This record gives sequence, structure tokens and C-alpha cells, in this order.
Amino acid sequence: MIRLTALALGEMILAGGAFAQGLPEGDRTAGRQLAGQCRTCHGLDGYARIPIAPHIGGEPAAYLAAQLTAFRDGTRTHEMMTVVAKSLTDDQIANLAAWYSGHTATATLTADPAEAPELCVACHGADGIALIPEAPNLAGETNIYIDTQLKAFRLGKRVNEIMQPIAAEMTDAEIRAAADWYADVGLVVEMVE
Amino acid sequence: MRNLATTVSALCLSAGIAAAQTADVPDNLEKLSNFQMTGTTEFTYIDQTGNFADGIKKTLEGITLPDGFKIELYAIVPDARHMAVGPQGIVVFVGTRKDQVWAVTDRNKDRVADEVKNFAPSLQFAIPNGVCFSDDGFLYIAEQNRVLLFPAAEFFYESPDVAAFNLVAQGDLIPVEQESFNHTARVCDIGPDNKIYISLGQPFNVAPPENLDVNTRTGVGGIIRMNLDGTGREVYTYGVRNSVGHDHHPVTGELWFTDNQVDGMGDDIPPGELNRQTEAGQHFGHPWFGGGTTRTNEYAGQEVPVEVVHPAVETVAHAADLGMHFYTGGMFPAQYQNAIFSAQHGSWNRTTPVGARVMVTMIDDEGNATMEPFAEGWIDGNGEYLGRPVDVTQLRDGSLLVSDDLAGAIYRISYGQ
Repeated sequence: MIRLTALALGEMILAGGAFAQGLPEGDRTAGRQLAGQCRTCHGLDGYARIPIAPHIGGEPAAYLAAQLTAFRDGTRTHEMMTVVAKSLTDDQIANLAAWYSGHTATATLTADPAEAPELCVACHGADGIALIPEAPNLAGETNIYIDTQLKAFRLGKRVNEIMQPIAAEMTDAEIRAAADWYADVGLVVEMVE
Repeated sequence: MRNLATTVSALCLSAGIAAAQTADVPDNLEKLSNFQMTGTTEFTYIDQTGNFADGIKKTLEGITLPDGFKIELYAIVPDARHMAVGPQGIVVFVGTRKDQVWAVTDRNKDRVADEVKNFAPSLQFAIPNGVCFSDDGFLYIAEQNRVLLFPAAEFFYESPDVAAFNLVAQGDLIPVEQESFNHTARVCDIGPDNKIYISLGQPFNVAPPENLDVNTRTGVGGIIRMNLDGTGREVYTYGVRNSVGHDHHPVTGELWFTDNQVDGMGDDIPPGELNRQTEAGQHFGHPWFGGGTTRTNEYAGQEVPVEVVHPAVETVAHAADLGMHFYTGGMFPAQYQNAIFSAQHGSWNRTTPVGARVMVTMIDDEGNATMEPFAEGWIDGNGEYLGRPVDVTQLRDGSLLVSDDLAGAIYRISYGQ
């Protein structure tokens, strides 16, 4: 039932996905150069160097562009990202999304996929590789990163029409269990020049 | 054999613990079994040899220090953040910004750790960055929104199940709606007044006006202190942006702390801060000041409604001054006695990176402080980080330990021989 709801919502945001299609075509070479200001935290390959940063290598371009745009416009806030994204143009966002999405993310799930958190798998996959372009990969993210994001959705501090209602129904223990599930998935990001 | 030894130690200790508990442990004791258990009762051990260790040793060959000092790999410790050396000198506990606390043991005392394993694997932690010891051997772990204490941690750490108690229960350290993942690395220290001091970073670049009341009330964007039984909580320090390092002066007892300053104002402003607090309740300027005497854009032109204490040292902008320690050991030359050793984590958004080094601050008889680099070389010719120092502490032999959360290691700096 919940999965059904999530899928229905997924259909609804396809309209939102049109936004991503409206983005300028990204230039990976320009994106690589601009990524110099991302790499201390996210790495040039998009494999995070600090726990508070997510892995973004091989992430769907639409998701990356949407998040950078949200940081720039203030609809998503973060102490560091708000500062970084403030001056980015649409082209630069597209270039960065092209650079980081062009890497290859490979997840290795050793646990039984049947035990994956039911609320999450329709969009994020059992192994944390996103199944829709609007969703991020979760494979190998620090559990506290996922935990904090889910709680931000639950509190309404982070806004998303799919995630807020899902997180609203989750207890602290369910949030941590989902976070632990995806954190335990192995992630390798292969950098593609 | 080891189990037997532990049991014997525990028995020997129990009398002492009972005495200590009546004095200093909260009334609302909760046994370990009341905490959420993960079911994990096996340790994770970290390999201390091999290619990874060799790579770090190679990096250390490029680190420069004053004459007579040397730096060596002490331990491989994933995500190593703040450190607490047990008063018995047996274990170094190391916090992380993830979900582990590591216990680092040098059993043969060759000043290289030979065992690194996770502490209390049956407990579920969330950003257990801050670790500190009381003189009587209680380990305190300050998390995102909880503080735990562990009696006789240096003995009980040999078992996966340790005695654990709430000093501050889950959700009571900060208001739950203030929880975040950034600026949430707590640090703690037991002061000369036998109270625990805990830093509470505020989660914004510049604290927004609507948060100032709750910050003032709860100590978010400040440093709090409380008795070791959890009573008497008060805000000791106001107007802090995100302090991730503090220590008490060994002679004066004054609290000194580093504070990371505002981003997005340019490469060279505002300065970072090393602060000296001379009495309870002082205000250090955030959010009206973004670092030093630089006013924030968000509060530009507004009258500052508090009396502000400006920093003892203005540090290089964006270098990210974190952990610090007053040197009291016997190993280093006399000039370093009561000097502050501190870590600069390194900048994240500066055009040319700065930091990633260990600094030393000398304080003269009049209290004037001057800071200079002590160990550096973790930024290579391409502007890439080879390591990012986080915290500095001292072993009982007077050598220093430096943690690095990028490499995932602890280094030891020694003098002579």
C-alpha cells in the first residue's frame, strides 16, 4: 500500500522531472574544473571525503541539478552548500551535474535484499542505487547523514513532496534502521574523465 | 587469560567505583541493557600494517617540524576525530563523526599502537565526536544529542558490553528541532572546577535572528557546563559560532577555545579565532561578528546588544582551527610548557587551501598569545590534502598525539633520541 502510494507520487513528480529536462546540456570538462571547489568534501570522483557530505559520483544528473538549484534558491539550506551554490549559474549547475553524474557508482549488497526497508526500495533500490532520476543514491552514505536527512524531512526543514509524508510516519528507530541498511552497502565510484 | 585479568581488575575496581558513583553519578542511572542494543557483540579490529599504513608513513616523511622533533604513525584509526587519553595511560579513546568510538591500545609500550578496536560495539552511537576523561577514570562521550558516561572505561573496554549511563539523555542536550549533521561535532573537557564543559555548535553559517533566544537559553552556539552528576547545567560561554576545541589553562584554569568563523565573505576574511575566557557568561560576538572584529553582512549596522570579548589570537581565515591542548609534559623543551598545541583542519572553500597543520601558541607573562605553525606539509603541490589534522592531545611520556580524519590515522610527535 505504501509502495503503491510512493509509485503514484513518483508519477506525479515526473512533471517536476521536466524541469531537469529543461536544463542546459552540461559540459563535463567545465564541470570538472568547477569541481575544484567541491573536491575537499565530495572528492573529484564524487566519493565523499568527510562524513557530513554525501557521495555524489554517479548520482542522477536531475537529482544533482535539483539540489544545487534548491541550495541556490534557498529552498534547501545547509551551512556550507548554501554559501557555495549562491553564485552558481544554470550552466554551471548543469556542468557540475554532468561531471559528477558521469562517474560510475557500483553498489555491493551483501545482506538479503528482501530485508531492505520497504518504504525506500521503490525509488532508492534495495542496494541504494536510485531507480528514478529524482532520487539520490543512498548506497554507502554515512548512516548519520541519512538519519539527519530523514529527520529534516520529518520536521519539514528539508522539503520534498515524496519524502516528507514518508518520513512523517517513521519513528527514530525506523529512521536509524533504514540509515544503517544503506550505510552498510558497499559503494565504489569509478571516476570517468 | 585476558578475560580473567579483566575480571580481576574489575573486582579490584568495584570498591572504588561504588565510592565514586555515590559522589558523582546521576540519580537516573540506566543500565547498559536499557539502551537500544544492536545485537552486535563482536569487536571490529583495524589492521595496523600493510600498504595503507605504508602510504601514511610516506606522507609523514614530508612533514616539517622544528629541529629535534619527529612525527611517526601511531595508529590507523578510521575517521579519527577527538581523543581522550585514559588517566591510567592504557587506552586512547577516539571519537568520530560517524557511529564509532575507537579504543587504541599500545600494549607493549613501544609508542606505536598495536590494537585498534571499536568501543562498546553493542551500543548505537550518533556522531560520538567528543570524548573526555575525568581524573577518576570516567569516560564521557558527547554525541549529537546525548552524553554518556562510562565508569572505569579503561578496564571495561575489554568487553563488548560496558557499563554505560546517561549524563544527558537522548534529546536533552539540544532541542531536537535544532539537530543537524553540520556543526554537531561536540567536544568536552573536565575543568578544574570538576565540571564537564561541552561545546554546542550552532548549525548555520550565521545564526538567524529567530534562533537567538533559544540559543541563549540552551547554549547552542556556546559552551555549557554541568556537574559530573548531570545537575547544575548552565551556559558558560555565549556568542560562539562553532567551537570544536577547548582546554583549560593548567595554571590559571581559564577556558581557552577555538571557534570556526563565517564562510562566504571572501578568501581572507573573517579571521578564525582562538579565544580566552576569563569568567562565566562572557560573549564572544556571534552572530554580530563573523570572526575577530569583522561584522557579518546579516547583522551589519546593527547595534551589538552585548559586551563582546574579541579573540586572543586571530587565525588565518578559513583554516578551521579545531582541537587544542595545553602542553604539560616533560619531554619537550621548556619553552613549550603551558603552550597550546592545536590543529588546523584546513579550508574547504578557499581558492588556495590553507591549514592542515599543527600550530603552537605561546602565551607570555602578560597573557599575550602568539600562534605559529609547528608541523606542516599535509597540502601537496597540487593543492590536494594528504591529511587533515583534527585534534591534539598528550601521552603520559610527554609526546603529542595528532588525529587526522582524512587519512584515518593518529600520529605521534616526540622530541629527542
